[in-house]
Amino acid sequence: MDLLLVEDDADYADTLRSELTALDHRVVVAPTGPAALVEVERDRFDAVILDRMLPHLDGASVVRRLRDNGHRLPVLMLSALGQSDQKIDGLESGADDYVVKPTPAAELDARIKALVRARAWTDDGAETLRAGDITISPGQFRAWRDGRPLDLAKLEFKLLTELARHAGSFLTRAMLLERVWGYDFEPATNIVDAQVRMLRRKLTADGADDPIVTKRGIGYMLRG
Amino acid sequence: MASLRALTAVFLGAFGAATVATGYTTYTATSGAIVRLVDERVEAVSRVLLSEARPGDAATILQGIDAFARRRDSGDIGFELRDARGRRLGGNVIVGRALPIGTFDLREGDGIAGLTAGRALVRDAGGGLRLVTIAETEPIDGLDAARLRIYLIGFGAMVLIVMVGTGAFGLLVRRRIAEVRATAEAIIDGDMARRVPVDPRGGVFAAQAVAFNRMLDRIAALLESVRNVSSDIAHDLRTPLARLHARLTRLAGQASSAEIADELDEALAQCDELMAMFAAILRIAEVEGERRRAAFAAVDLSAIVTEVAEAMVPIATEGDRRLIVEGGGEVPLRGDGQLLSQAAFNLVENALNHTPPGTTVWIGAARAGTRAILSVRDDGPGIAPADRAAALRRFGRLDASRHQPGHGLGLPLIDAVARLHRGTLTLADGAPGLIATLDLPAS
Repeated sequence: MDLLLVEDDADYADTLRSELTALDHRVVVAPTGPAALVEVERDRFDAVILDRMLPHLDGASVVRRLRDNGHRLPVLMLSALGQSDQKIDGLESGADDYVVKPTPAAELDARIKALVRARAWTDDGAETLRAGDITISPGQFRAWRDGRPLDLAKLEFKLLTELARHAGSFLTRAMLLERVWGYDFEPATNIVDAQVRMLRRKLTADGADDPIVTKRGIGYMLRG
Repeated sequence: MASLRALTAVFLGAFGAATVATGYTTYTATSGAIVRLVDERVEAVSRVLLSEARPGDAATILQGIDAFARRRDSGDIGFELRDARGRRLGGNVIVGRALPIGTFDLREGDGIAGLTAGRALVRDAGGGLRLVTIAETEPIDGLDAARLRIYLIGFGAMVLIVMVGTGAFGLLVRRRIAEVRATAEAIIDGDMARRVPVDPRGGVFAAQAVAFNRMLDRIAALLESVRNVSSDIAHDLRTPLARLHARLTRLAGQASSAEIADELDEALAQCDELMAMFAAILRIAEVEGERRRAAFAAVDLSAIVTEVAEAMVPIATEGDRRLIVEGGGEVPLRGDGQLLSQAAFNLVENALNHTPPGTTVWIGAARAGTRAILSVRDDGPGIAPADRAAALRRFGRLDASRHQPGHGLGLPLIDAVARLHRGTLTLADGAPGLIATLDLPAS
């Protein structure tokens, strides 16, 4: 993917660029907000990774300018500190996601892919989701595999829905904690793994193959 | 002096005694002066009367009495003349008994018509004659009541002014002290922004309040810098850790054998543990920074408990432990839903991690009067009373748990969350097992 990285810390920008390049992205670095606004006009990007703390023009203002200029491309905001008020502020300015530095490149990669994919579909919250032979009706709170109804607990249903929404992309533990559990903290106990194990058991109860792919150190993906 | 109240009592006592003593002295002094004046007059009148007659000349003395009695200014003076055997020879008053020579007080009982109080002087008039001269003090005695009234009003007003003044002064001092105490208590409760109100008109109390507030500013600044040091360290260490994590992840994906992959997984798990420790340090710093209090909203502790229990049931089941939700019904309070979830989460996590398989863990939220209570209890081995304080300390891990995962920051974080909500975290003996209680103000 073509990414614009807006980061004033040259060392951190270098590291992140090489790591993201290793993950098959093309990365352009802009050291300031105004430079970023120029780059966006000159080139086409799939997403922007934007540091919140920039000299002169801060990240939130950059997002506002981008939106004012009619750019709808996904913006992932990076922040040095995970204070909740800053996070709310960042999202209110028009950013699509918000993560605390230092974020592993793999986490950024997963989040950007999810954001770009999310742009592809319209979500009215009640439409039926399909991933392989799995069908989910979020409005009815019901799910089927190969036409056979699945008996899922509330969290299992939410987890399956979130995975199905992003079928074909990996979702990290942090992303799932935010979206399924609604937690802004990462518990020491791995509740995501445990919940996935429970869900997997129910999905494969009648000997069907496992539709959930695990990627070590990254997260989970539902096959599309 | 032991206390302000004792000091005030001693002061008022001393003031009262001085007032009474002054009043008494003035009263007796003026009374004595009146008696002396009357005595002087009686003495002078009788001396003049006797000087106009030869000693023993009763007839001349009686004429002198008559002449004196006819004078306009003599109404308050009376005379009686008696001979050597005590027989009454004459005079303008009748004294009921014969008096020896000297000066006497007269009272109503002395039977002198029209006299209730007076002084009498008995003189030798020569030839065995005795002249009794009396004067009334009655009209002057009537002044006593007026005098007493003046004393009561005068001194009473003074006493009253002093008492009201002392009371007002005490009230003022007490109010200033109460302001300082309220501030100190707010600080203890974790409201580091609280300051003593300063009287804009200045004065010693204002100066003291300013000094007190400057001390609090200094403490707050020191706390802030200590907090920043720990969070800066935690933050700066996260960057290299994140790189290490990324590299290990990449290596794990390319592992040439299952053994190496397992080793790398173990290394990744340790890396995660370190990240979790720094996340906990940063989280405690964030909670203690108190900025989150601005975002407090209405939350239902019961709903939080139910959600946390749902999230933890798979973990409990896999570890062969039971997790049961107790109670129900709304438990409303103003707080930070995320932090309360994390606190509840950590409590259940502790209960599951530090008990043997087969243990049952109960979690519940309940309202007790004005308090919202979140409790997590288990029927496991519990913590010895002596170890409970250590468990609440940062990095304070008990020997029994050193081989288990965790970083010893779970309970301090819960404690910080409790303090942010102006509540408390307590660990108690559940007989058997442990009860951890978050006691928070309900709304």
